[in-house]
Amino acid sequence: MTSASAPLVAIRALHKSYGPHIQVLKGLDIEMKPGERVVVIGPSGGGKSTLLRVMMGLEKIDSGAVTFGGKPYISSAGPDAKTVIDTEVRRSIGMVFQHYTLFPHLSVIQNLVLAPCKVRGEKKASAMRRAQALLERFGLGAKANAFPAQLSGGQKQRVAIARALMLDPKLMLFDEVTSALDPELVAEVEQVILQLANQNMPMMIVTHDMWFARNIASRVIFCAGGVVVEDGPPEQVLGAPREERTREFIDRVFHIKQ
Amino acid sequence: MNYTFDFNAVSLGPLIEGLVVTVQLTIAANLIGVILGFPLALLLMSRLAVIRWPATLFVEFFRCTPAIVQIVWFFYCVPMLFNVFLGSVTMGILALGLNLMAFNAEAYRAAIQAVPREQIDAGIALGLNPLQRVFHIVLPSALRASVPVLLTNGIVIFQQSALVAIVAVQDLMYQAKTLATETYRPIETFTIAALIYFAVSFPVSQVVGWLERRRQILTS
Repeated sequence: MTSASAPLVAIRALHKSYGPHIQVLKGLDIEMKPGERVVVIGPSGGGKSTLLRVMMGLEKIDSGAVTFGGKPYISSAGPDAKTVIDTEVRRSIGMVFQHYTLFPHLSVIQNLVLAPCKVRGEKKASAMRRAQALLERFGLGAKANAFPAQLSGGQKQRVAIARALMLDPKLMLFDEVTSALDPELVAEVEQVILQLANQNMPMMIVTHDMWFARNIASRVIFCAGGVVVEDGPPEQVLGAPREERTREFIDRVFHIKQ
Repeated sequence: MNYTFDFNAVSLGPLIEGLVVTVQLTIAANLIGVILGFPLALLLMSRLAVIRWPATLFVEFFRCTPAIVQIVWFFYCVPMLFNVFLGSVTMGILALGLNLMAFNAEAYRAAIQAVPREQIDAGIALGLNPLQRVFHIVLPSALRASVPVLLTNGIVIFQQSALVAIVAVQDLMYQAKTLATETYRPIETFTIAALIYFAVSFPVSQVVGWLERRRQILTS
């Protein structure tokens, strides 16, 4: 057990570029405590999604390290060095993507049980029971045998969340999970995430939905130009930002003219 | 036009015998094409140029030369170059099979590369190892996507197989040619031959259309 003050995740001097000229993350330092719900906001191209993808181990990094529960699991000594990823530690982290990414050839429940059976060697019957219970909890009990193409965007995204939860993650990453949804379907997905928040699931969320950010965040990070510009409680960053760049962004998002 | 059609002059027996040979050629060529096309597709996608280049050259040879030239080339050059003498049917199967293998490899490759990157990311996020990602995510989706193209290629080979008649394989086309000469009824004979080819191809092309429509619904 980590003590309450020890960080759950620590990101240190994280550098990441795409090719020789596009630097996306320019020395990011973030510490996240257990039970925190961090919402990352900022302009497009500011590195928010890249940050989550790095934490999930989906991207090579140039230098820096990410630790989870005190254990470094992603690190690189320099731009030409290999990015070392500890896949054992990575399994504690779940991620949901913008475009659902359900496997189209598998039914809803097969999507849920694939990883527990293959990765953890769980018995099919036991995984099916857990999956069915999880689907019921998310109001999708009747859809267990449906295929992804038969679901609405909101349903697909809820299935994607359930699929990630099947592996009992200790941290959930949400990468713009409502951005591809029709407006009337956003709430059902946000409800599910709020439900997780109420159970103290640590999470890091990238979103453009400022109302959702205010509702769910215990902490908001404004990220722009590959660095953390402002970091604080939602009332501060969203309500009364201290940094000029944050204020400009927030004003633009809320369409408030000075 | 005062030509009097006489379809009775054409006896169906030899044509049916020819059809049996044509179908056998088609099935054999498809076995080669469907089975060996897949490993060839993997070679085409290899990161190693020494593997990728010969495979690409093989595929491009079959894609960039007329099938009739390939068949004739096989018939005359393989025995001379490799000193093996195979029956004309075997030769026809090999020529058609290798041709189909090249086209099917391209179909497999396109389908594998069309699996969205995000699907693989989701597999990584779920902790699946590279082999599990290939077997549970990439292949099921790619193989399903390639079925309509494989069927189309297969039925094209059924039609292309008519070309082996010129190297004396006694297929439907060969029998039709012989019959036309014997009966002096080329119009009737080739009309019937065309109808036979059509009767086999048309249902398959309908199935392909149905599969594609169904796939569109399932993946939208």
